[in-house]
Amino acid sequence: MPRLLIVEDDDRIRLSLRLALEDEGYVVKDVATAEEGLAEQRANPADVVLVDLMLPGMDGFDCIRALRRHGDVPVVVVSARDDTHDVVAALEAGADDYVVKPVAVKELSARLRALRRRASGSGGDAPEVRRFGEIELRPDAGEVLLGDEQVHLTRTEFRLLCELADQSGRVLSRQQLLDRVWGYDVYGDERLVDVHVGRLRRKIERDPANPQHVVTVRGLGYKLAT
Amino acid sequence: MRAVGLRTRVTTVFALGALALSVALAGATYEFVRAVLLDDRESAAIRAASLDGSLVRQGLAGEEPDIALVLRNLDTGETRRPLVRSGGAWFARTADDRLAPAVSPALQGLVEAGDPALQRVRVEGEPVLVVGVPLQEGASYYELTSLEELRRTLRLLATVLGVLALVTTVAGAAVGRGVSRRVLRPLGDVAHTAGSIASGDLGARVARDSDPDLDRLAVAFNAMVDEVSARSAADRRFAADVSHELRSPLQTLSAATSVLDRRRDELDSRTGAAVDLLTAEVTRFEQLVTDLLELARADKPADRRPTDVVALTRSVAASRGLPPEVVQVSGDDALLDVDPRRYEQLVVNLVDNAANHGGGAVRIGVDVSPEALVLEVDDEGPGVPTDERALVFDRFARGRAASARGGTEGTGLGLAIVAQHVSAHRGTVEILDRTGGGARFRVVLPAGQDDGAGP
Repeated sequence: MPRLLIVEDDDRIRLSLRLALEDEGYVVKDVATAEEGLAEQRANPADVVLVDLMLPGMDGFDCIRALRRHGDVPVVVVSARDDTHDVVAALEAGADDYVVKPVAVKELSARLRALRRRASGSGGDAPEVRRFGEIELRPDAGEVLLGDEQVHLTRTEFRLLCELADQSGRVLSRQQLLDRVWGYDVYGDERLVDVHVGRLRRKIERDPANPQHVVTVRGLGYKLAT
Repeated sequence: MRAVGLRTRVTTVFALGALALSVALAGATYEFVRAVLLDDRESAAIRAASLDGSLVRQGLAGEEPDIALVLRNLDTGETRRPLVRSGGAWFARTADDRLAPAVSPALQGLVEAGDPALQRVRVEGEPVLVVGVPLQEGASYYELTSLEELRRTLRLLATVLGVLALVTTVAGAAVGRGVSRRVLRPLGDVAHTAGSIASGDLGARVARDSDPDLDRLAVAFNAMVDEVSARSAADRRFAADVSHELRSPLQTLSAATSVLDRRRDELDSRTGAAVDLLTAEVTRFEQLVTDLLELARADKPADRRPTDVVALTRSVAASRGLPPEVVQVSGDDALLDVDPRRYEQLVVNLVDNAANHGGGAVRIGVDVSPEALVLEVDDEGPGVPTDERALVFDRFARGRAASARGGTEGTGLGLAIVAQHVSAHRGTVEILDRTGGGARFRVVLPAGQDDGAGP
């Protein structure tokens, strides 16, 4: 059974989410502060973490950064804040997905399923090794090489690269990427895609401001240049 | 006709003022100098004529005097010319007596009556002062003094004064321009700052002025902007607090309800019915809060970027379970600069409106051109009566019109949000009759870049 950690300071939300997600088949551990959450994650690593942004003491952004330093566990932000500023900051900090309260349990559950699918390591449809310029993608090993160096990608970044690689040369719109990587069957937030593409570029581009591999096609989306 | 600017008017007034003042001063100066100089010349001419007259009187005292010789012996310099009238005849230094007509009969009369007299006349275009002094019986002495030099002096003076008046006028205009620029500069600063604030730079303030009178404007304007931005910051904080305070309990309600709903089958029918009501109302309440918070952000400008509106429209239609052929695309373009989040919500709300009140959308028309996007959502419902078309975009406008159309779904805010998104794009939305019955909602979003802060 997948293990889930909830970091949420509101007791009622924490309890209700725990009950609802246990119904969805998760083994849930819930804590009220970022500090407890980090300790829990070190002691008993969960498969996915839900984080609120406004927390007493260490805030959600710092909590995400700290989680990222210790591993690539998928992180979903569940916040009442829906300012672009907060969304982008949380994604930049390393969150994999962002949902705004109130989120229906069915919706949240779908988000988590998509994340775990990504986390389970299936990288696109074709498992064979592919090269794009300096980049070598090894889906089965879950590895990416830039030249001779191994690049460390989070699972979401890796999945994003694999989806682009599957369509190499063809453009994927932000909505298509949301659908394929994040599992959004309805319309979703395109900022998720933009921020993750930015993170991916910082890792695999020699000059992230002038990308050679993950190219923006104005108005249409992104493609992986071959 | 375009109104004349304050700066031009101030400049003109200064120039005209300087002109009037300098002309008046120049005129007075000219008149004064002329009177003084003329007076001086007249006194000198009278003194000289008296002296010369007494010499001539002596010269004529002898027997058979040669008048011309007497006159020639006078030391008159170049400017004075002597003339004697004796026994009804004129005598000058030479036989040339062209000077004689210069002496008017009136002057002759005065002198012959025994009084010295003078008169200014013009001889061959030259100003001349004629001084007459009575001599012995029946004779009189006249002296003609040329005033040409005086005239040249006065002309020079007039020229100098004229040039000075002109210079003063130009200087006046320059001062006027400078003064108006100086006075109007704070207005320009204020206008510039107001523009910056309107375009989003809320930190913009007017620089203080060293002049205490002009500084009042800057201080008052900055105080006003501080006050307004403090209030709007307080409003934003309030909206954020409201948002948080509403969203948090809703999250608990939503999650707890889903726990109940999951056990729906284990409940007796009464409890089950209550759980159904709870679930439906919690869902509606969630949507209501989301819509209200969306409407509360009316001041946010559209976040325009190149968007594939055709693909977005298709994805909305698909997510709402509509068959693909419902979306009908005309026009060659698919890309337009719009706010994708707002456009998407606009289409969703129109499609949901058609589903709730018009039996579902039967056609979604998208026509993209470089200038604008035209979106049409058609339904086969009862349509909207003409007199209620403007009202359905009001908040909670689920009154007569909506209930007549059988709608109990929705929050009553969907079309208000449509109107808000359209207005953020400087577009229009209208309701038409669909051919064959039903309503047609037509939205036009221009591809403009000059969005302001919404309605």
